[in-house]
Amino acid sequence: MQSIINSILKNRNLIIYIILSLITFNSLYTNSSVHYSGIEKTATYLSGKSSIFSSYIYSYFNLRNKNQILIEENLQLKKIEYKNNYSSQNLENNSLESKPLNTANIILNSINKSKNIIVIDKGILGGINEEMGVITSLGVVGIIKSVTDNYASIISLLNTDLKVNAILKNSSTIGSITWDGLNSKYLKLNDIPLSSSLKIGDTIVTGGMSFYFPKGLPIGSISNYDNSSLEGYYDIDVEVFNDFSSLSTVYILERTDNKEIKTLLND
Amino acid sequence: MTRELIKNGFFYTSILVSQLLIFNHFNLFETITPSVYLIIFILYKTSYNKTTLIFLGFITGLIIDLSMQTYGCHTFATITICFLREKIEKNSFGVNANLPSAMIKGTQIINRLTFFMLIILIHSSIYYSLVFFNIEVLGKIFYYTLINSIVTFIIIWVLSKLISNK
Repeated sequence: MQSIINSILKNRNLIIYIILSLITFNSLYTNSSVHYSGIEKTATYLSGKSSIFSSYIYSYFNLRNKNQILIEENLQLKKIEYKNNYSSQNLENNSLESKPLNTANIILNSINKSKNIIVIDKGILGGINEEMGVITSLGVVGIIKSVTDNYASIISLLNTDLKVNAILKNSSTIGSITWDGLNSKYLKLNDIPLSSSLKIGDTIVTGGMSFYFPKGLPIGSISNYDNSSLEGYYDIDVEVFNDFSSLSTVYILERTDNKEIKTLLND
Repeated sequence: MTRELIKNGFFYTSILVSQLLIFNHFNLFETITPSVYLIIFILYKTSYNKTTLIFLGFITGLIIDLSMQTYGCHTFATITICFLREKIEKNSFGVNANLPSAMIKGTQIINRLTFFMLIILIHSSIYYSLVFFNIEVLGKIFYYTLINSIVTFIIIWVLSKLISNK
């Protein structure tokens, strides 16, 4: 306290000068229109600049919230998209119906094993159940394998055990997508007969004949194919749309008619 | 002490009155209005209180602002030179800065010239910057500052000579 008083006394001339200057500027500001407009202009300029600066800082620290809002907004848009596109398509094709249920953040991911598993931060309490499809805005990611109250594991497309029903978007030729465990950017499209016409760059989408994904979800595009096989099928490399090494947020699909179909199959 | 106070009071009042009644209406070539009252702050004895000097500057500036309707331009320029006076003294006089009456007697003329000129130039530049308050008329601000500083300096120099001779 004594040091504060000493400091004030030591700098009393500066303090008095600042106070008297403020009184003077207040007088200029209130009485002279020229100074009023000049000070207003300066104040507007300074406040504008400082607002931009502070908004940059604020927006940087607010990115996480903004991201969450965007994810939620994206989920709503996906629901509308599914309602408008896939429902009508499914009705025409008599396919199974599904809709995006939830979003989740990936907390564990691997791409360097032959049986890669992804773990997300939502489980039963978040409305996640086993055997739900998992996608991103770019395409298919995998299928929910097991769930706990707060977490769920996903069998990634980069898992040699997973086989997903797929078709060539242009010709609707049915095949299946698997991974050979070698390169995380490429999958294999099997069971496409040599009689089918295809070319590099053709898009591969989900076929709809599974419990997990509706028809038409993107998977990847043909990067290379070999038609010299004696078995009568193409050997096709598919470049996957998703970058599995940088996944962060995923959407979980809910099949509304899963139980009904399973009951039917069991009977 | 009382005699000195009366003497200083008389000097202060006479300079202020002459500024208000004569020099404020000088307006030579519609440009020159000498700020002769600056002599008060130039001849202010360094042995006196510096805080008092700032308050004296504020009151003097306020009185002149009220008479000239300059809304605080004189006040700010005056309190600034009062606040900076100690530094200007040190710059101008060096080791002799703290000697009483060093401003007038027993110092080199070049030191005195520097001291007078610095006080007047700083005051004028602040005053005219505030009066015009527009960066687009920077040339005009320089011109007014220079002309008024020269005229003010001549008058103050002559007055200080008269006072010191007395």
